[in-house]
Amino acid sequence: MTAPVNLPLKSRGKLASSLPAEQLAEIAGLFEFRRTGYSLDAPFYTDPTIFKIDMEAIFGEHWIFAGSVAELPEPGDYITVDYGPYSLIVLRNDDGGVNVLHNVCRHRGARVLTEAAGSTGNLVCGYHSWTYSPEGNLIHASAPGETKFDKGCFGLKRAHSRVVAGLIFVCVADEPPTDFDETSKIFEPYLAPHDLSKTKVAYQQNIIEEGNWKLVMENNRECYHCDGHPELACSLFPTWGLTEGLIPAHLEEVWDRNKEAQSSLEERCRRYGLPYEVVEELDTRIAGIRISRESLDGEGESFSADGRRLSKKLLGDLPDFRLGRCSMHLQPNSWFHFQSDHVITFGVFPVNEHQTLVRTTWLVADDAVEGVDYDLDKLTYTWKQTNLQDKAFVELCQTGAGSPAYEPGPYMKSEYQVEAFINWYVQRVQEHLA
Amino acid sequence: MGSTEAPARAARALGPWHPQEFMAECVETVPEAGGLMTFVFRRCDGAPLAFRAGQYVNIAFPVNGEDQDPVDRSYSLSSSPTEPWTFNISVKRDATGLVSPWVHQNVKPGTVLEMLGPVGAFHLPDADRRARYLLLAAGAGITPIMSMVRTIHSLPGHADVVVLYHGAEAGGFAFHQELAYIASVDSRIKVFYSLGDRNKPEGWEGLSGRLTAAMLDEVAPDANGRQVYACGPEGYLNTATELLGKVGVDDTSIYMEFFSGDRQTLLEYQAELALAVDIAEEIAEEIADSAEDYYESQPTAFGLYEPGYDAEGPLQATGLPLETVDPEAPETSDGGSAAEAEAEAPDASSFETVGTGSLTLSFMRTGINVRIDPTEHILGPAQRAGVRIGANCKEGMCGSCKVVKLSGEVDMNHQGGIRAREIDAGKFLPCCSTARTDMVIDA
Repeated sequence: MTAPVNLPLKSRGKLASSLPAEQLAEIAGLFEFRRTGYSLDAPFYTDPTIFKIDMEAIFGEHWIFAGSVAELPEPGDYITVDYGPYSLIVLRNDDGGVNVLHNVCRHRGARVLTEAAGSTGNLVCGYHSWTYSPEGNLIHASAPGETKFDKGCFGLKRAHSRVVAGLIFVCVADEPPTDFDETSKIFEPYLAPHDLSKTKVAYQQNIIEEGNWKLVMENNRECYHCDGHPELACSLFPTWGLTEGLIPAHLEEVWDRNKEAQSSLEERCRRYGLPYEVVEELDTRIAGIRISRESLDGEGESFSADGRRLSKKLLGDLPDFRLGRCSMHLQPNSWFHFQSDHVITFGVFPVNEHQTLVRTTWLVADDAVEGVDYDLDKLTYTWKQTNLQDKAFVELCQTGAGSPAYEPGPYMKSEYQVEAFINWYVQRVQEHLA
Repeated sequence: MGSTEAPARAARALGPWHPQEFMAECVETVPEAGGLMTFVFRRCDGAPLAFRAGQYVNIAFPVNGEDQDPVDRSYSLSSSPTEPWTFNISVKRDATGLVSPWVHQNVKPGTVLEMLGPVGAFHLPDADRRARYLLLAAGAGITPIMSMVRTIHSLPGHADVVVLYHGAEAGGFAFHQELAYIASVDSRIKVFYSLGDRNKPEGWEGLSGRLTAAMLDEVAPDANGRQVYACGPEGYLNTATELLGKVGVDDTSIYMEFFSGDRQTLLEYQAELALAVDIAEEIAEEIADSAEDYYESQPTAFGLYEPGYDAEGPLQATGLPLETVDPEAPETSDGGSAAEAEAEAPDASSFETVGTGSLTLSFMRTGINVRIDPTEHILGPAQRAGVRIGANCKEGMCGSCKVVKLSGEVDMNHQGGIRAREIDAGKFLPCCSTARTDMVIDA
């Protein structure tokens, strides 16, 4: 018997193939004739149709970062994750695993869970009380007079999920890209020592940025603008993204300090068996990644004004506070900073073509006590400030993309990761449209 | 006799780590290297002693004889609280000292001493998911560190312990045989020794020289991520503080116990002791009022010896039932009871009267009446009038001015220099007391 539970989305037709041929050709042309090394044409940031294509080709096909296990510590804990047209329930099941279900009631399509996070036994739709088990099976629907109603046919649709080193990834495609497993093997050894299963959420911040999701990602992939982050510049070397030969005179001293800090960090990493080498495959694989462990300025421990630890409890079984930041960029929607004392996860969830939810989550050791082991305001200060500054930068660009005077401009050498992100994006969409 | 009371008392005593006043009998003495002697005690009431590795007890030593006031000293416990039926202190003999030579010479199996404890915020945490420690000891500073090493060794679980032990001469490392044994069978514990440069003999295989950042880096390159416990003389600990900062250890990860006996240390000890006395006293009172109510009212959380506990915190934070101070233990009768003294006292009305003020203090031994104001501390006017009262700190801490009050009332603002039972027996500290009424004093 074929279960009709997971009807493939494509059975309802791809957006791409439903568009008038003329419009589709025009859009395909925008991708095809994209000028390498330059920012995208305005419609990529402003056009609702391209946004729909993004949702289908990128967010409908790839592995998306949804959250971390620290956000669902106990069985029954859940978060809802919305992006574009999708709403997913990410739920900790009784076996300790994670179930990902489409948050769409199989009766009339109502949102089943309406809170951003919570804890639940069974899942009850608020509209007609259709009730699903945590596995998504419909276990109750009052049906007076119905004779042919088969509950077995109306379970919540499930999406794919992977939990790697405590990070939860979801994919709504019927057949997820398979190279994610390879990417997982790259980053798992870097992140596992921080043991996210023994962390808790110290704080979570949700910001809606008035900008297209790609502008949010582009902004994250370079530090050319880091002069605009005075708080971050205390601990993050402002030479980030630069290489020997590109160092402006006013940063030479910083560059030397950076090199020295990096070499002692690497020595410590070798001593403790922690990987630190840069792996950069941002646009050379489907699950694009960049990961490394890099030094921080000052004491080299955390994102504070003097580089000193922000939580007194080490994560996992880490032996030393001076471990800089293990930073990871994943395509298409996330980046991370893993320090010895806390972890910050960043998830980007598009709302529409001009609005994007940026969710930042600060994790500390689960036995760290607020006010004793860490001060919440100090813990979150640097990145709260930085996020607000980034939001403003993104919004400046979004406004610009709406201007008739806008035309694509060149990415500089230090912005090579922006180019890599755009190149990855263009390739992925073109493959989808092909 | 099969009474149910004894085991219940013992079980209660195991629970918390409240300071108590108790009597303990020496059961064994063990000579150690470096001029130390270990004294093994057991409580006279048969109860185990609950304490945390690193804490100390305050002991009253009758160095001037049983009929004189004892001299109090604090000694770190060197045994492990996981073997609570006996406990050890290890005393270094200081030839010029008042107490330690006496202890070495006189305390032997059978000796019974009055103690107060456990006391001290310098101790291992009760639970630590990442038990990663750097234990620094110099000389006799090894005693609380030894308690920590023995404790960790005796318990299962993950731990990562580096001990760096500084000594003045090769033969002077107390406990070195046991430390070597523990290090050889317990892979969690590493022990390093370092000698002063001048005394390095041929064939010395340990480290040499004083504590340096390079030495710290050599024995514990990951010191930055460890909790550091250090005990030793003041100079050594000051150096350690500075060097630990240099290798990146956070202030909040450093715990220190000064063994130099300087004034500041004494003040800290006395403050802790004063608090301990108060706690023992208050608990005893509350239990005396209604044991049942008292035990039921205690919350289960327990945070008494968290660093920075304060006078308000402990009672609220106490968790489990505790053993009370033995209220029956009599004060030694030196100079007779108050009634006796009064009965035999010469007539104060014949004494010379000096000073001005609204109240009259009659010093019976000296034979003088001193008039004072109710606002002034008693000690000063009494000494000026020629009353022989020894006094040292003049802040209610050292107890050296302790005298017996035969009648009258005082307001005493002491800081641990006197025990509850001494006050009950009519003693007070004139250095920190004002008179509330006319008084008759045995001095």
